[in-house]
Amino acid sequence: MIVNLDSNDGRPLYLQIMDEVRRAVVVGTLRAEDPLPSVRELAAELVVNPRTVSQAYQELEREGFIYVRRGQGTFVSPAVRRGATERRSLALSVAKRALLEARRNGVGVEELVTMIQKLAAKEDE
Amino acid sequence: MNGLPGSFAVTTHGLSMRYGRETALAGVELRVPEGAVYVLVGANGAGKSTAMKVLLNLERPEAGRAEVFGLDSVSNGPAVRARIGYIPESHEHDYKWLTAGRLMEHAAVHYPAWDREYAAHLIKTFDVRLPRKVGTLSKGESRRLQFVLALAHRPPLLLLDEPTDGLDPIVRNRTLAQLAEHLADTPTTVVIATHHVAEVESLADHVGVLSEGRLVAQMTRDELRRTVLRYRIEVPEGWQLPRDLRIASVRRSSSGREVQCSTIGEQHDVTARLTATGASVRDVTPLPLEEAALAFLTEEGAR
Repeated sequence: MIVNLDSNDGRPLYLQIMDEVRRAVVVGTLRAEDPLPSVRELAAELVVNPRTVSQAYQELEREGFIYVRRGQGTFVSPAVRRGATERRSLALSVAKRALLEARRNGVGVEELVTMIQKLAAKEDE
Repeated sequence: MNGLPGSFAVTTHGLSMRYGRETALAGVELRVPEGAVYVLVGANGAGKSTAMKVLLNLERPEAGRAEVFGLDSVSNGPAVRARIGYIPESHEHDYKWLTAGRLMEHAAVHYPAWDREYAAHLIKTFDVRLPRKVGTLSKGESRRLQFVLALAHRPPLLLLDEPTDGLDPIVRNRTLAQLAEHLADTPTTVVIATHHVAEVESLADHVGVLSEGRLVAQMTRDELRRTVLRYRIEVPEGWQLPRDLRIASVRRSSSGREVQCSTIGEQHDVTARLTATGASVRDVTPLPLEEAALAFLTEEGAR
């Protein structure tokens, strides 16, 4: 799993880390029972406060996304598949960002959706 | 050290100091929670370095007092200093004639908690050459040595005054990564005074803003993110900023129809006030830490 943080993204860093973990599961680079980097490793790699990583992991654990095996580390939950729930929460977060960007540009929701569909259809051709 | 949740590593009470006629600190009430990474922001001469020196009992306050883990900084000077790892603004070391290795030996004897194994690890990470005389070190190498000295006894409090000053970009990143790792391994409270806020933004969870010796803001990163926001609004002709808003900066489009302003205040409240004057809010975004902190310094002259 490669976690990327965006300093221009206004959201708190722990939310960004959560989304990156979800993304890794949905695209399949992180699978059930895979180990996650330790808080220490990820904090050093991203140069973030270890508490921020802990917070992200705790939230993901509460969602049942990952679990802690005592003395061994943190792992992706066995129940996690590239399934509907994960896709939904990731899609939700992408949609939120798109909506925000649309509002910023004075683009209406319908306009945005139509344009995305048109664009996707074109790319599929 | 193993304080109760919600206890403070550093508190100051009415801390005041002057250098001659210059006010260095005026009634400063610092509250640094245990385990916080607290960034102290302010212009040159705002009092950041002085505040740290008072905590170390290197400067005596004229009024007020400071406590470190509940210990008075003046009457318990040595005990307080033993709990602090300090990186001073200056790159100069005392004992210029000693080699880095000898200086390290002195520190190892001085601090009961000195961790030799960790020190060796840090010497490698920071690439410190032990046979070099301390007085001949470059700015960057001197800084790296100071980092080893500050971290190797795993003090519960780190006071870092412009810590990245003199470090090249690669060493700077490695240093901050080492600091993040240190925080994961060792329960530590950190106070960082810096002009380069963006560099430590991802580590910071508390912010204090000093202006001419006064602490004009002190809050968590989350609170700062929530209360200092940039609004992009569309406004009717002849529109004026509501008087009761705390405005940090304003930009108007040439047509006058669009205004961008940074304000201090809760979002629903600010939005309501803007809307009440006929403006329509197009976009609200949080600001990077540095810009948000600077809002408290530009507030008065912004309009």
